Amino acid sequence: MTLPMNPEDEAKIGALLISLWERNLPLLHERLAILDRAASEAASDHLSVALRAEALEIAHKLSGTLGMFGYQHGTEIAREIEVILKSSAIDRFHHLTTLTAELRQTLLGK
Amino acid sequence: MRRILIIDDEDDIREVAALALEATAGWQIFTAGSGVEGIAIATVEQPDAVLMDVMMPGVDGPTTFRTMQQNPLVAHIPVILLTAKVQGVDQRRFASLGVAAVLFKPFDPLTLAHQISEALGWKEN
Repeated sequence: MTLPMNPEDEAKIGALLISLWERNLPLLHERLAILDRAASEAASDHLSVALRAEALEIAHKLSGTLGMFGYQHGTEIAREIEVILKSSAIDRFHHLTTLTAELRQTLLGK
Repeated sequence: MRRILIIDDEDDIREVAALALEATAGWQIFTAGSGVEGIAIATVEQPDAVLMDVMMPGVDGPTTFRTMQQNPLVAHIPVILLTAKVQGVDQRRFASLGVAAVLFKPFDPLTLAHQISEALGWKEN
């Protein structure tokens, strides 16, 4: 039973999304920092199992939420990071540095 | 009025989905941050459907679903899995569990109620 979207309700959802995004910016910074660290360790072939698992979980969460906030490209990058971290193709790990930088640029513009 | 239980460990997802379903469909929403909490709420509230994340720390979505199936108090409640998984093999694996539907994250808050209604064969007004 989907009701016709009331502009006020639509605005309310939009406002909630903006508010959640702003509230979670510190968490986003933490998550991006962990992805950066994982990418850096992967680039030097020293990515630990624990950091890989943590980065994988973060990439998964970001791929599932960024699009909801309007960052569909962010979801796509996070998904690519997730696929690489899950794969056994170690040679693709070197691509993580580029992807994490692109993700940061997409979300924070820096 | 439909009553939906959302089970997801991510606060953002629960908050956005709950508000979106309340605003766009007028449904009553319950939320839980884990499968264990979700089963407890489902037992008491008997929602019309459960919208549940696949990947949660501790007890994941598929395990929670299987536990629900073994509990006659909640086995009849349709479960929709919500997943960010994109690989075809994952999609087929989740669908084969016997859940009512599998929806994908990130979802559009404005069309989530429509997706749920369509998946469950609920008539829309």
